[in-house]
Amino acid sequence: MAEAQRVRILLPLQPQAELMATAAVERVGRSIGFSRDTLAEVKLAVVEACLNALEYGGGQVEVEVVGFPEKPPRLEVVVVDHGPGFEPATLPTPSLQAQLSGERKRGWGLELMRHLMDEVDIRSAPGCTRVRMTRREGGR
Amino acid sequence: METFELEVALLRGPLAVIEVGGYINNEAGEAIVATARRLLEEGHRQLLFDLKATRIINSIGISLLLEVLEMVMEAKGTLAFCSPSPSIAKTFQIMGLAQYARIFESRAAALDALSTPS
Repeated sequence: MAEAQRVRILLPLQPQAELMATAAVERVGRSIGFSRDTLAEVKLAVVEACLNALEYGGGQVEVEVVGFPEKPPRLEVVVVDHGPGFEPATLPTPSLQAQLSGERKRGWGLELMRHLMDEVDIRSAPGCTRVRMTRREGGR
Repeated sequence: METFELEVALLRGPLAVIEVGGYINNEAGEAIVATARRLLEEGHRQLLFDLKATRIINSIGISLLLEVLEMVMEAKGTLAFCSPSPSIAKTFQIMGLAQYARIFESRAAALDALSTPS
């Protein structure tokens, strides 16, 4: 069986740094046979994980993309930041109806990640938040 | 660096067609809000955003599209999107956006529907 493809990157603190992570997803995903449409969904989820890490992590953000050339192929993306952490269970599920009559219109990132990926696992404590997401080609 | 393009491609009575390309993030979203506000002030209450060249959108961009939706609803107008990529269409579906905005597969279908009184 072919070996897993692995890319690790450290996101720079600059505008659109999240797109470095999507470029890695594209490269690894293509190498193991992901379709363009599935990759587009994974990239959207990865953008959200990176934005959260960059916004709330307050510093260095590490991203690891691993492609498993199985049948069907599988991608795993891990995003790590070293911010104060948060409790995922306390985040409210966003409601479009409520947002249209309210001030706050953000809060869709985690919801999108959960719908676009097969699995999303978040481990968070002060000093380290680790978001691990997986998606199989043709999943969801 | 992903670029962003925005162009008002068509003005026809109450209808304005805005082509949006590239990455819809915070900066792009703010430009979209400003353009939508101007068009509404000019009397265009049907705003159709053509997303054919939009490659990716993030949740900050989405939150700014919701501001546009709120503005259009206040003006008792219509917000529509056409030609979204499959991943953007799925994002809209996850959010339930179709309850409040019209979404079309192509610009031709959108123009046909929007020019027909409902």
